Amino acid sequence: MKKTTVLLLALTSPLVCTNASPAPEIDVSGFPAEMVEDVVVPVPSEIFGVLDKLGTPDWKGLLREGELQASEDRARTALLLGTVIADGFIAVQAQDRERVKETGRTVLRLAGAIGVRQSVLSRSNSIIDSADKQDWPKVRRELDGALHDVRNAMIELQDEQLAHLVSLGGWLRGTEALTLVVSQNYTRDGAELLHQPALVKYFETRIEGMSPKLRDNPLVARIHSLLAEIRPLVQMDSGLDIPSESVGRIRDITGELVGSITSKGA
Amino acid sequence: MHPPSFLRLCGAVSLVGAVLFVTTPTGRAMVDDALSFAYEAADPYVKEGFTIREDAWGGDLEEGGQKGIRHQLFKGNEYWFWAATDVEGAELEIHIYDASGQLAEAEFWKKGKFAAARISPSATGSYFLLVKVVKSPADRTGWAMVYGFR
Repeated sequence: MKKTTVLLLALTSPLVCTNASPAPEIDVSGFPAEMVEDVVVPVPSEIFGVLDKLGTPDWKGLLREGELQASEDRARTALLLGTVIADGFIAVQAQDRERVKETGRTVLRLAGAIGVRQSVLSRSNSIIDSADKQDWPKVRRELDGALHDVRNAMIELQDEQLAHLVSLGGWLRGTEALTLVVSQNYTRDGAELLHQPALVKYFETRIEGMSPKLRDNPLVARIHSLLAEIRPLVQMDSGLDIPSESVGRIRDITGELVGSITSKGA
Repeated sequence: MHPPSFLRLCGAVSLVGAVLFVTTPTGRAMVDDALSFAYEAADPYVKEGFTIREDAWGGDLEEGGQKGIRHQLFKGNEYWFWAATDVEGAELEIHIYDASGQLAEAEFWKKGKFAAARISPSATGSYFLLVKVVKSPADRTGWAMVYGFR
């Protein structure tokens, strides 16, 4: 406690700020440093946290019905896992305890189907326990953590490409939910949350770098094709908004893709 | 064997005192120590409502070297980025630029082995984080960065 207090004072006090006048501008076309990675993919909490501040949309209306099953197609199961984690966030927004608990169980089942059950066991239990206590901030943290743990377990298993599909599945479902919310009550600020062209490009590039077998998977290939359609829609020239028509088109595309991922016949 | 020039780190967010990835490669261990310090810098902000992401970025740089990280940020959130090194006597800086290259941070500070920058984005989109080793007594200086949002 003492150490924390000292740190709090030492690190946050304006008295210790030393400003060495950073460059006021850099040339991003010739970025003056090697890049660590293409772009940092945000965790779902970052987006849902903003949505919290935009109002109280009908989250219950966004919840999906029906049990989701793992597929023999591991790529589809990885995508499905990502969408389920995103569903968990929607269930948190709706404060639907039973749906959050179901998310925890489904995450565990799907993680097992792709060989990373152990990595999310404690997270899954914590999601269920926290839902029972209606500790929604903790559920959010654990859902973010589940995504993190699944991805890392896959990377350790040399399954990094499948890990990208988990992230992509989460992004698709999260983006679908975002467009549905914005469509309910279009606002400029809400639509601006879709301004993510670098992320779309990132996912396109990840798919292009996958093994031919994975890249040619019909579902993955379809996603790749439609990401190219989404990218210009989420561009936002200076001073301009993302119009409601574009929001609607992105909603339709992501809805189609999420439907394909979650379809029992897929 | 040369240590990797950069690593994307993933670790438990046990914050203060976090000891992550006790591994044998020198570069990785160096960055792991820096990561512990980065979480240490972040820890006080948890009490202010910041959620610390359980991912981290890091590597090692020569004196004067810098590394960029492109990041998708959302208007409506507030972000802190914390960087740290494990090299005694080394100094880091971290700064945030928007997609057009303009300095975009609301504030930054550095203190000993720690540095941090804060932003409340005026627009949703891509931003560039620049981590720089300002000075160091070592040939290579391990660094790590974590971030939080509220």
